[in-house]
Amino acid sequence: MSTAVSGSTDVPFASAPPRRIVHRRTFGLGLLLAPGLLILTAGLLWPCLTMLQVSLQDRFPDPTGYTLDHYRAVLTDAYYLRIIGRTFLLAGVVTLLTAVLGFPVAWYLARSSSRRKHLIFLGIIAPLLVSIIVRTLGWTIILGNEGLVNAILRGLGVIDEPLKLMQGFWSVVLGMVHILLPFMILSVAAVVGKIDRSCLEAATVLGADPLRRFLKVALPLSVQGIASGSVIVFCLTVGAFVTPVMLGRGQVSVLAVTIHEQMVVLVDWPTGAAAAMILTSGTLVVLAAYGLFLRRHARR
Amino acid sequence: MAAHDLPAPPLRTVPRGERLLAAYVALVILFLALPVLIVVPLAFSSDVSLTFPPRGVSLRWFANIWARPEFLSAFALSAAVALVATGISMVAGVLAAIAFVRHTFPGRDALLMLFMTPLVFPAIVLAAALALVMTPLGLLRSFWGLALAHVVLTLPYILRTAVATLSEIDRSYQEAAHTLGADRWQAFRHVTLPMLRPGLLAGATFALIISFDEFTVSMFLVGPGVMTLPLEMYNYSEFTLDPTLAAISTVLLALTCLAILIIERLVGLGKQFGG
Repeated sequence: MSTAVSGSTDVPFASAPPRRIVHRRTFGLGLLLAPGLLILTAGLLWPCLTMLQVSLQDRFPDPTGYTLDHYRAVLTDAYYLRIIGRTFLLAGVVTLLTAVLGFPVAWYLARSSSRRKHLIFLGIIAPLLVSIIVRTLGWTIILGNEGLVNAILRGLGVIDEPLKLMQGFWSVVLGMVHILLPFMILSVAAVVGKIDRSCLEAATVLGADPLRRFLKVALPLSVQGIASGSVIVFCLTVGAFVTPVMLGRGQVSVLAVTIHEQMVVLVDWPTGAAAAMILTSGTLVVLAAYGLFLRRHARR
Repeated sequence: MAAHDLPAPPLRTVPRGERLLAAYVALVILFLALPVLIVVPLAFSSDVSLTFPPRGVSLRWFANIWARPEFLSAFALSAAVALVATGISMVAGVLAAIAFVRHTFPGRDALLMLFMTPLVFPAIVLAAALALVMTPLGLLRSFWGLALAHVVLTLPYILRTAVATLSEIDRSYQEAAHTLGADRWQAFRHVTLPMLRPGLLAGATFALIISFDEFTVSMFLVGPGVMTLPLEMYNYSEFTLDPTLAAISTVLLALTCLAILIIERLVGLGKQFGG
């Protein structure tokens, strides 16, 4: 990318621009970034730093000193550890499922003719237009004891007693996969669409069968899209609240639910803040890994 | 891959693998549409409970929306927050996008990543953190507190589409404007902005939807009298499970479709994402 600025006609042909203009450039850049930086500072950085501070306070409000006790309490409590484990397991399972289920759709989407592409695209983003509450409610209607699946199975005489499909973990997985699948498909499709078709044709000409062509050529070329989709899906699952509450029927405690409980119901902000910081650091580790991956990928 | 992409197609029929893939894609789209396909018919149900298929047809649940002023005021608040937040995000996002695309400066990539953080930041943490700092400021349970939170959440969506669109615009147009005597503002207003418009509209549509449907962050910031529609719907579902919520969603769906249709007519929204 060129180093020129929007006001490049101001710069004369001189090889070294006068210092005055450099100053104006920096000033202009600052003005462009100022509103965004202000929003991020007021709405993200400052609140998070405050939360970090609260998680280290011995009391809230009116602290008398700083302590790591709340972190110790969370990380040594078997109940909390189970919840942390379940949260990250849920995120892992949902990420894996969306990647496996979404990849063929993204592939097909990116390679379709423009008319069909338009239709598939609409089919994928249309669910995003429907309130998350309603989509989750839809699943409870489908899966509940009096729900559609049980009604059909009973009507067919397959079962007498309703199956308990709203049993917790897997119904939450289903709901999360349903909500996040479009994000994965769009992320992967963005990268797959840019793959040079001649690579795949070359593989075919050189005698690769479809499976080999997929594993050795298509997959490595799409890996960046899968990675960015996975980061989005993983992070959104880790912080999700509505779906675990509504589809888990109170039986699937994840970190988001526990943090909410700790802060709003028990009004224990420091412990809740410590749990929140642990959740955040988990997310940051994933993001850092993604950053490393991108850098390595770019170098290759 | 479509059959006509092969170097020399030996057959004119679609390969079996291709047909299988198409069937699979159709299945996935059905899966994505399933809850909606259930919810919309339920809105017209005459039953008091949420059973599918409905046993009779009525419009009583639509009437019930009107009978409950809390849904209408929640709708008004959600719409106002979404519009204000998207507006602010658009100004901040476009300015930042110009900085990111047209300038190089140290730490640019890191800063861009920071701007994108709200996209993946755990909503529950952001919610609690915002509640923590807004309480002493009196912003809790206020319109502007909600609006600020939604600006943070929508900014990445606007910025992403603005950066993508801006990188596609050839700089020479702008330089031509300068050569013809336009100043920076005139060049932006009459050359860059019109070319940005389709991408911006797409980003704004997404931002509006994200804001309108936002749940977790708002949960910590709302209170009696200041309630967004998703929260009001959730509260309702905690105590009453009748088709009222299905009716609300059907109304929202109709409104969204209308809005999308209008925008699609104006700029071709699908092209912005599908291309």
